[in-house]
Amino acid sequence: MNAIGRILLIAAYAVLGLAATGRSVVQITTKLADAPLPYLVSGASALLYVLIAVALWRGWRRVAIVGTAVELVGVLVVGTLGYAAPELWPDETVWTGYGSAYGWVPLALPVIALVVLLRGGRRAPDDAVSAPTA
Amino acid sequence: MGIYSAGIYPAVLVVSALVVVLGGVTMAWIRAHRVLEWAVTALWSATGVQAIAVVVLLLSGNDAGLVLTIGYLLATIVILPLMGIGRLGAPDAAAADPDPNRPVLQPDQIARVDGGAAVIVGIAAAVLAWRIAVILGAA
Repeated sequence: MNAIGRILLIAAYAVLGLAATGRSVVQITTKLADAPLPYLVSGASALLYVLIAVALWRGWRRVAIVGTAVELVGVLVVGTLGYAAPELWPDETVWTGYGSAYGWVPLALPVIALVVLLRGGRRAPDDAVSAPTA
Repeated sequence: MGIYSAGIYPAVLVVSALVVVLGGVTMAWIRAHRVLEWAVTALWSATGVQAIAVVVLLLSGNDAGLVLTIGYLLATIVILPLMGIGRLGAPDAAAADPDPNRPVLQPDQIARVDGGAAVIVGIAAAVLAWRIAVILGAA
């Protein structure tokens, strides 16, 4: 995995983590009883984004791959359930509509991250995300 | 409110757009990095002015939700340092970190990272400015 891609993914996950954390903290602390499932999903997604950002930074490749895979599954499941069972979702989450409120970045980012991580893994089969280049 | 909605808010959007464009240009052509640095400084300044204006509006009796508005405002400020994330890969910075997985970047790579980070932060700054304007009733 090249260093530029890795650092840009860290920046993207940091921004998304900040957005999701802010949203979920407000939702969970002020109106959790109104829609517990969506707000807890938002909280979980926020934690996941922060975990992935840290994993990318620290070079925890397996954690980053599992985290992005879980994120992708979460976006697809929540996005689909939002249409198939709308009664479960009285309010929106970060992943509602496959992340449409965030410009579909929550859907695109794990795909990009998985491609970059898995390609990087084939090139450098060690456990690190990327080795120092100098 | 007039100064904010007619001057400061549009200025933040324009500077954010400039940062996004220059970030993209820098990723392709690293000699634009110097110009990007000026735009980044401009975004810091515009964000500072925006923060002061929003606080003044809140203190002057705007009925916007305080928690949300301050939250978005803090987020706007917190994301700005990400535009310098490339510096963390500079050889001297990396040498001070015992982590063997820390990336070490060459100057051209730092410029490209700064360009990419500028694209991400510029978009986020524009979205946050828009959300603040909506909450304040200026957009």
